[in-house]
Amino acid sequence: MGRYVLRRLVQSVPLLLGISVIVFAILKAVPGGPLALYESTPGITDEDIRRLEHSFGLDQPLPVQYVTWLGKFVTGDWGYSLVQHQPVLSLILERLPNTLYLMGTVFVAVLILAIPIGTITAVRQYSLLDHAVTGATFAFLSTPTFWLGLLLIIVFGLDLRWLPLGGMATAGLPFDLGDRIRHLILPATTIALVQLGARVRYLRASMLETIGLDYMRTARAKGLAESAIVIRHALKNAAIPLVTIIALDIPELFIGALVTEQIFGWPGIGRLFWDAATRTDYPILMAVLAVSSALVILGNLIADVAYGYLDPRIRYA
Amino acid sequence: MGLLHVRGLAAIVAALTIVGTACGAPSTPSGASGAAASAATPAGGPIKGGTLVMAIWQEPANLMPHYANQTVQSVVLDAIVEGLVKTAANGDYVPVLAKELPTVGNGGVKVSADGKTMDVTYHLRPGIKWSDGQPLTSADVQFTWRTIMDDPKTAVRSGYDQITGIDTPDDLTAVVHYKSVYAAYPTRFGRLLAKHALQGIAPAELSKSDYVRKPLGTGPFMITDFKAGDSFTLVRNPYYREAGKPYLDKVIFKSVPSSAVAIAQLKAGEVQAMWNLLESESADVEKAGVHVVVTPGPSVERIEFNTAENKDGTDPNSKHPVLGDINVRRALIYATPKQQIIDKLLYGKATVGTTVLSTGWAAPKDVTQEGYDPKKANELLDQAGWVKGADGIRSKNGVRASLEITTTTGNKTREQVEQVLVEEWKQIGVELKIQNIPSAVLLSASWAANDPRKKGSLDMWMYASSPDIDPDSIIYERYYSKKIPWSGNNGDGQNYTRVNNAELDKAIEASRSTLDFDKRKAAYDTVCKVLNQEAVIDWLYNRADINGFTKNVQGVGGGNPWRVLTDNIEDWWLSK
Repeated sequence: MGRYVLRRLVQSVPLLLGISVIVFAILKAVPGGPLALYESTPGITDEDIRRLEHSFGLDQPLPVQYVTWLGKFVTGDWGYSLVQHQPVLSLILERLPNTLYLMGTVFVAVLILAIPIGTITAVRQYSLLDHAVTGATFAFLSTPTFWLGLLLIIVFGLDLRWLPLGGMATAGLPFDLGDRIRHLILPATTIALVQLGARVRYLRASMLETIGLDYMRTARAKGLAESAIVIRHALKNAAIPLVTIIALDIPELFIGALVTEQIFGWPGIGRLFWDAATRTDYPILMAVLAVSSALVILGNLIADVAYGYLDPRIRYA
Repeated sequence: MGLLHVRGLAAIVAALTIVGTACGAPSTPSGASGAAASAATPAGGPIKGGTLVMAIWQEPANLMPHYANQTVQSVVLDAIVEGLVKTAANGDYVPVLAKELPTVGNGGVKVSADGKTMDVTYHLRPGIKWSDGQPLTSADVQFTWRTIMDDPKTAVRSGYDQITGIDTPDDLTAVVHYKSVYAAYPTRFGRLLAKHALQGIAPAELSKSDYVRKPLGTGPFMITDFKAGDSFTLVRNPYYREAGKPYLDKVIFKSVPSSAVAIAQLKAGEVQAMWNLLESESADVEKAGVHVVVTPGPSVERIEFNTAENKDGTDPNSKHPVLGDINVRRALIYATPKQQIIDKLLYGKATVGTTVLSTGWAAPKDVTQEGYDPKKANELLDQAGWVKGADGIRSKNGVRASLEITTTTGNKTREQVEQVLVEEWKQIGVELKIQNIPSAVLLSASWAANDPRKKGSLDMWMYASSPDIDPDSIIYERYYSKKIPWSGNNGDGQNYTRVNNAELDKAIEASRSTLDFDKRKAAYDTVCKVLNQEAVIDWLYNRADINGFTKNVQGVGGGNPWRVLTDNIEDWWLSK
């Protein structure tokens, strides 16, 4: 197992390098650039623009720019934002707690809800409840977050005035748990509803498959209580695919929900990335994409390892 | 799903950048202002105290005074940092930290005998302190200049690069030596840097310092909290020079994702003020009981015509097959229904554009542009030999009068204006196609980044731009013949229309070679007149700055077109 993990990690190095080259090339292929921000500055001259271009290193040939970035990045120097001027690493760390707070809440809430709902709908297949849940999950699965988020804002924020319209806390208020929670509800619900749909579908399908297996019939034949059968025999096995899905979600905890954070003005990594994208702030874009790529690879590895651990039939060489 | 988000990024960014573009993006227009002080001031005078929350739907990326390149940075900075002199609402220069504006008349400005250099002497107001209690001295003025010249990340150096040295004979006197006669000197030193806070840091390292987020100032407020993506908190500066002011205890700038959200929060009373309403939004907001302040500003929305051939890296001496003919350009201006655009698309919150300098001391009084007259447009084109074909589109010597217009994507008002022009110009036999690109591309401002205006690859493009109160640099960069960008000068200059007129050059030279106010005014009159004779720019409308306040915010006034809404924030107060 140890050798397997090591091999996978070594394999991921060229993969990450390849990803970073492609991402860099794509970002640079987008016409325009960060200097567009200076367009409307009164009194700006071409000399100023050229000087700034030089001081940001944007006048270097692209391969040189890439190698410079890479050389610094691997030694822990993630560079400085071209517009905020702060170190990229500290900008990311500044936002990370906010994203973890939002995505972590969603993560836990979805898990707590998905397991009972998925199990019950599978056990009571084709019941009225199953149809209702299936319909709802499909609806939420196919709903874009930007639309759902805006809908929730309009209904609960503007019309009913039950919840705040955005942000993480009321401006000017000292820390207040109730206030924080009220601000969390809408963005968390937006992401959770969409995610919940996917999780419930997975678990339901997996449960249905398991319930039909021979050993379940054996368990029933032994005279076990139905609840024991479902929880101890069926759920345990059916949850294996769910574990892999969860592991694959690890990068999401970091990068956050780009659209949802933007809609709700949530000061997390997603919004940092969004702002950087609109201002073509390359150092931030590269860093966030590099970290999330690494996390995707890591998430995959964890999923594979966890699968092997939970299901002894799978062996790695 | 994280990846899914990233993949959809391009599309989503494209769809929603409406909310986020910095540049050509609207500040906003006016027409009927004056209703500024409409909210009746309750009797009893200003009340001290309270917190005002203002929604801002773009976010200051940093607050370093000499890096500022976004309007929203000024919105926050103007409450914190001050300079020697500022521009008042009526366009006059007024002293702020200086005791008076140095002029030739009061002996503050001395031009050398050969007329080639000048010295400007500033006397600082005594007793001014930075918000940390340290005294403001002439050394701060000197340090500000040095830093602007030495810090590679400075935004604008023009003017400061004409200074050869600053003497500080005493703590309150700064003598600025210019190597040229720099007429726009009152516009320099608009924001001072605190020497005592920065002197230990190498210029190239300044961008990494804390000052970038929490600058010191002498203004009414000081920043205590910079929460990127969330809020910026300012509290009263205890050392502010005006006794009893500011009235507010605290101002919080709250970063919201879009103007729609800002409007919703303003209507819901979650915030007491919002920066920058679009003209198309203001009518609806007013109906909801929000106090809307419309400040006619210097920004002019325009369509610029490329007179040289429309190809990448065009030769400045080439001629555009269609727009190279001045008759076509004039006809297009005749066929632009500016008033109708203002009434229907901007809810009357703008005025008809006629020239680049719409307001301020340099604005010409009697410059006009071809008014709406499609009949005349048709006659002009007939006379010039452009003949209508079977499809109603004109052509001359085998060249079809078919053009493309480009503006920034995601701006609804601009897209509507384009639709109007497609219809209008079809009536005079000119085919117009729409080809919009993101503002970061259209306005990238860099030859290396292929700004299409610089490269000359477009037919015409629509955007807004505003001159400073002293228009020297914008007039010189944009309309002087030696400032036409092309491969021969490495793309230097912003003369995107490629206008090249000897009379224009002469007037521009005259405007920057003297300190004589009347001579400079006359020179700008000529510049504006000749520009319109050349018909290289269709001035659509004069924009305004529109901001919203809840009814209990008092003392806001009518706004200052040369500054931002927080210009007089020390006078604001909250009524019960």
